[in-house]
Amino acid sequence: MSAVDQTAMPPAAAPAAQTRTSPWLVRIGRSLLRFALLTLAGLLLAGIVHIVTVFRVPALAARDAATVYAALGMNGHAELVTPPPAGLPAILDADPNSVAAVCSYDLAGGPLRVVARTGSLPLGLTVHRRGGGVAYAITDRAAIRGVLEFVVMTQEQLDDRLAKDEEGETSRELRVVSPSLQGLVVARVAVRRAFDRSEAEAQATGVACGLAD
Amino acid sequence: MRVISLAYVIALGAGLGLVSARYAVADRPWFGRAQIGAWTSWPNSGARDIDPYMRAYLARGAHLPLGAGEGLELIAGEDDAGQALDARCRYRVTGMTPPARGWSLGATDLAGRPLQAAVERQSFTDAEIVRGERGGMRIVLATTPESGNWLPLPAGGRFQLRLRLYDTPISSHAGELRPEALPRIARIDCR
Repeated sequence: MSAVDQTAMPPAAAPAAQTRTSPWLVRIGRSLLRFALLTLAGLLLAGIVHIVTVFRVPALAARDAATVYAALGMNGHAELVTPPPAGLPAILDADPNSVAAVCSYDLAGGPLRVVARTGSLPLGLTVHRRGGGVAYAITDRAAIRGVLEFVVMTQEQLDDRLAKDEEGETSRELRVVSPSLQGLVVARVAVRRAFDRSEAEAQATGVACGLAD
Repeated sequence: MRVISLAYVIALGAGLGLVSARYAVADRPWFGRAQIGAWTSWPNSGARDIDPYMRAYLARGAHLPLGAGEGLELIAGEDDAGQALDARCRYRVTGMTPPARGWSLGATDLAGRPLQAAVERQSFTDAEIVRGERGGMRIVLATTPESGNWLPLPAGGRFQLRLRLYDTPISSHAGELRPEALPRIARIDCR
């Protein structure tokens, strides 16, 4: 039937119809395909930019806790950040029923020894790495004879210490590896009653932090 | 033509990538959270294996989250019926808390800042509340004074409840908690 139709059409009519419609359709089709491919490439690039940005935020952070409190605790004792010293921002999402004191550290100078004495109020010690995130947490339940003590170090410093340990001898030192050179040791004490606050502050600021060696 | 195509791809990729990353880390991320009844928690926010989105969120401000093992924070922005917490209403918080050495329950604005109420009480601790005969908590949140454990609210606006459990064994597996193990939040009435 189609053969009959084609033969019935004037010889010049079929090619003429094709040249009138096809180039536009082809051009629009090609443009749409090109646009879709470019959009797909853009979305792919957006995914890469998104992931790289999220991973780079901690490294580029200038307002994270470890950066803004970097000058605190250098005198060998933790310093209160509830409320923060003048000119420094307050802790976000802080519990009004707890006090926190911080010791900033830079392990480039060597491992940091942290010593806390327990009291009647719940005490927690955490190691916060620079760029956000908790590397280690311990509570006063782990204290031995009322003292909680650990040493913060890098993986390289831990390897050195392990190499220097006497063979067959178990070290009594609690060693904590920090994923970053800089960070914060946070002593947090729960304030169970309003009149406990001064005791809680004394307990938090009583945490000693200094070079281990 | 090629320059325009390249510019389009770069503009779309960089623009969409940066904007989506900014929104993704502007608040606590959706994934990694544990929803237990009206309460939400991010158990890994204080763990070593924290996800990159939560870490980026924490890095954008002076956050010092509770460490895993140190405690657990739970946040509720809605009541048990799924309605947003509104300071024009009265709420009753009842029930028990999971085992912990201590806890505090407070109300904040949506950014975690203390509420500006007429009376200066932002929270209760386990040592401060008056308990019922069965030992459970019963705290009423309202603008006007209430008998018993009253947590004052401002005249209006949305708010959140924050429950912090200190030294609790459930901090590492908060996702397995049942809603009955946490305080219930019921709306009493609204103005």
